Amino acid sequence: MVDLQELHEAILNGDAKAAAAVTRAALAQNVPALDLIQQAMVPAMDEVGRRFECQDYFVPELLLSARAMKAALEPLRPLLAASGAQPAGTVVIGTVKGDLHDIGKNLVAALLEGGGFEVIDLGVDVAPEKFVETVQQTNANIVCLSALLTVTMLSMKAVIEGLRAAGLREYVTVLVGGAPVTRQFAEEIGADGYGENASAAVALARSCAKSAAVG
Amino acid sequence: MLERPFQERPDFEHLRAVLLRERKDGPVPLLELAADPEIMSEVTGIPYPAARARELVFGIPGSLDPEAAKLGIALMDLSIAYSVKLGLDYATMIPVVPLLRTRAQLAKTGVGRDRALRSWQDEHAGLIPNRDEFLRYRWPSFDQINILPVEYAATRMPDGMKVVLLYRGIFEDLRQLMGFEALAYATADDPELVDDVLEGLTRVAEYTVGLAAAHPATGAVFYGDDMGFSSGTFLSPRFMRQHVVPRLKRIADACHEHGKPFILHSCGNVLALMEDFIAVVGIDAKHSFEDKILPVEDWYARYADRIAIIGGLDMDLLGRGSEEEVRARTRQILQACAPGGGYCMGTGNSAANYIKLDNYYAMIDETRKWNEEHGC
Repeated sequence: MVDLQELHEAILNGDAKAAAAVTRAALAQNVPALDLIQQAMVPAMDEVGRRFECQDYFVPELLLSARAMKAALEPLRPLLAASGAQPAGTVVIGTVKGDLHDIGKNLVAALLEGGGFEVIDLGVDVAPEKFVETVQQTNANIVCLSALLTVTMLSMKAVIEGLRAAGLREYVTVLVGGAPVTRQFAEEIGADGYGENASAAVALARSCAKSAAVG
Repeated sequence: MLERPFQERPDFEHLRAVLLRERKDGPVPLLELAADPEIMSEVTGIPYPAARARELVFGIPGSLDPEAAKLGIALMDLSIAYSVKLGLDYATMIPVVPLLRTRAQLAKTGVGRDRALRSWQDEHAGLIPNRDEFLRYRWPSFDQINILPVEYAATRMPDGMKVVLLYRGIFEDLRQLMGFEALAYATADDPELVDDVLEGLTRVAEYTVGLAAAHPATGAVFYGDDMGFSSGTFLSPRFMRQHVVPRLKRIADACHEHGKPFILHSCGNVLALMEDFIAVVGIDAKHSFEDKILPVEDWYARYADRIAIIGGLDMDLLGRGSEEEVRARTRQILQACAPGGGYCMGTGNSAANYIKLDNYYAMIDETRKWNEEHGC
């Protein structure tokens, strides 16, 4: 019998091969896909986030765990699709206009995917209109905005205003982050949340998704 | 506009004494890692095609394009003119190191400002993502490296001014050569590859820094190597101690061998490595501070008994604040850091093209006034 703790450990250790192998073995033994996600994968990524917060893990460990999580999720995707299981949320993510930095944004995207979100990554130097248009087309419920510079972060406000002008603001949660961004700035521009780092951003997205589900 | 130049004549020896914490009296000097060409052009009134220069310098790896060479010489002249105009003790020069890098991307960054075109490092497609590419990579030979900019400046700087050599660090180049994500995976999958790339970069850095530091016109080396983000180091301190710190020491030693101060610029929260930088690497000064991480006064309180502290006026304030706010913050920093010595005023990062020039002038002007009020 497959021990789900092995999957948990494989993700914690960033071992993609082991994570995929344990998942396949579990599926062969008819372990339900949702059990694998809820009992092993999500708790493992929670632990990865906790270790990152207390500086036991760093960016490489986050990426390695996210890679292992993706590898474990791969064999589950067709089963989840067939069962009609919904993603934790749909996230539109991008680095705002004028800014080409995306290490942090990619990290958040990888962790969100690992956390069961559907992620639409618009890349870098993304115009406010593109965010708005994508939210309209995908019915996304979360928008994540990233910036590296103190001047480019001002574009975040334009995205929020664009969402408001399109009548979408009340349907989406806007989360912001990046080197110059502060909680105070997030409040000033009317964002719903600020993630100090990738792990915090994902925790915030999950908490927003939960609130939306409860609401 | 500045009411008056910061000082009547350059005095690098005073700046050097402050960097080495040899004296507590005298004026608080100004020191920056770098100034963007747009800022230098506005300060001096000398036109410079910054956008074109970025395309040439960053766009064609290893290029010896004649137009790039011409713009490179114009940039050296601009740098000296800028230092003279502001009354600085130094002119910043960059050595010629033909290291093949990925093509940088350009983006118009400043909201509504024509001058704010910035180049951005490609963070994905590194030239050395794996061992095969490492074996194919052509490292520059030592005879391809030169310090012509230092030699050029040596005969053109006014008396009392020296070159501060800006050198781009090995960790930044490691990130660019491998691509950040490939680097992150390699730290687990192939740490020997990371070590090999670092070693190649270190050999180049050690040679170049030593060559420049040996030149009598060079006053100090400003070594820029971003190793952290807002809440910690990119890679674990343990990894950095094992693979990077000993190599930083070799580069610092190449500078110290010629009696020149070694200034470390590293953005981000690198507090976990500060003891290594001071005790192992032997840095003389630390630069790059962000209020969001820890205000410069706190860095000063923690480390100024062992190293000099440089700059710290937050980039967000310089970019978005008012002149009055900048003056107030400048004075606040000076009150905390100037009396104990070992402090130079400057921005938290650089005179970047997106800061307000009037704010930059306000910082300089307020420091001049402080110096005058204190009899310097």
